[in-house]
Amino acid sequence: MSEENLIARAKTGDKEALRELVKKYEKTLYSFAFKICRNRDKAENIMQETFLSMLKSLKGFDGNSKLSTWLYRISVNHCLMEARKQKKGIFVEPGDDDELFSDKYAADWSNIPHKSVENQELKDILDRSIAKLAPEYRIVFTLRDVQQLSTEETAGITGLSVPAVKSRLHRARAFLRNEISKEFQK
Amino acid sequence: MKFEPVTCKDVIIHICENLNEDIDSDRCRAIKHHIENCEKCREYGYSIECIIDWYREYDPDFTDTQHDALLKKLGLE
Repeated sequence: MSEENLIARAKTGDKEALRELVKKYEKTLYSFAFKICRNRDKAENIMQETFLSMLKSLKGFDGNSKLSTWLYRISVNHCLMEARKQKKGIFVEPGDDDELFSDKYAADWSNIPHKSVENQELKDILDRSIAKLAPEYRIVFTLRDVQQLSTEETAGITGLSVPAVKSRLHRARAFLRNEISKEFQK
Repeated sequence: MKFEPVTCKDVIIHICENLNEDIDSDRCRAIKHHIENCEKCREYGYSIECIIDWYREYDPDFTDTQHDALLKKLGLE
C-alpha cells in the first residue's frame, strides 16, 4: 500500500495504518533523536513525543511536504525543547571563519589509524565533541551529513534559508574537526 | 572506510554549485588549481569525510522492547 493511502487511512483512526506508519519511521526518528541528544533514554522519549504529536495532528497534515519531512520537523522541535532544559552556556556557537580554520587545530589526519566506531574511546570522543556544539548547528549537521537529506529538505525542516543551512553546515563540520583534532592531540 | 569514488570534476562541480559559480568560470578554475596543489585542502576533505562516516556509523540499536513500549504509549498495541 502506498504511503498516501496509509496516511489517508491513518487519518480516519485506522490503527493498522497507524502501526504501519510508526513501524516505518520509528528507527529513523530514534536514531535522529539519539544523534542530537546523545542519550538513549532522552532519544526514546523524544521519539515517543514525536509520534504522540503525529497522532494529535495527523488530520492537519496537508501532504504538501513528505511525511518524513513533517515528522523530522516535529522531532527537531522536541529536540530543541529538550536542549533548552539543559544549563545555559554549555553549548558553543562556532566562531568566525578565521578561528574555525586556524592551523592551530590541524592534527595530522593522514597518520590517524583507521578507527571503528565500535571502539569505545572513539565513541566517547564523538559524544564529547558534538555535545559542545550548539543544538541548532548539530541539527543541521545531522540532517544534512548524517541522515543525508538534501540542503533544501534540511532548510524546509529547520525553517532556515538554503544559504543559512550551508553556512551552519560548514561551521559545524569545522567545529567538529577542531574538537576531534584536539582530542587526538591529547 | 569505503567512499564512493568521485572524480575531480565531481568535486569541483560540487564546490562551484555551492559557490553559485559556473564550472568554467575563472573562480572555479582557480579553485581546481588550488586543490590540485594543496596538501592542507586534501587533508581537510579527508578529515571531514572521516568525521561524517563515524557519526553515520555510530547508530544505536532499536529493540523490540522499545517498539512495544512505543505502541503501548500510543495506544496502538
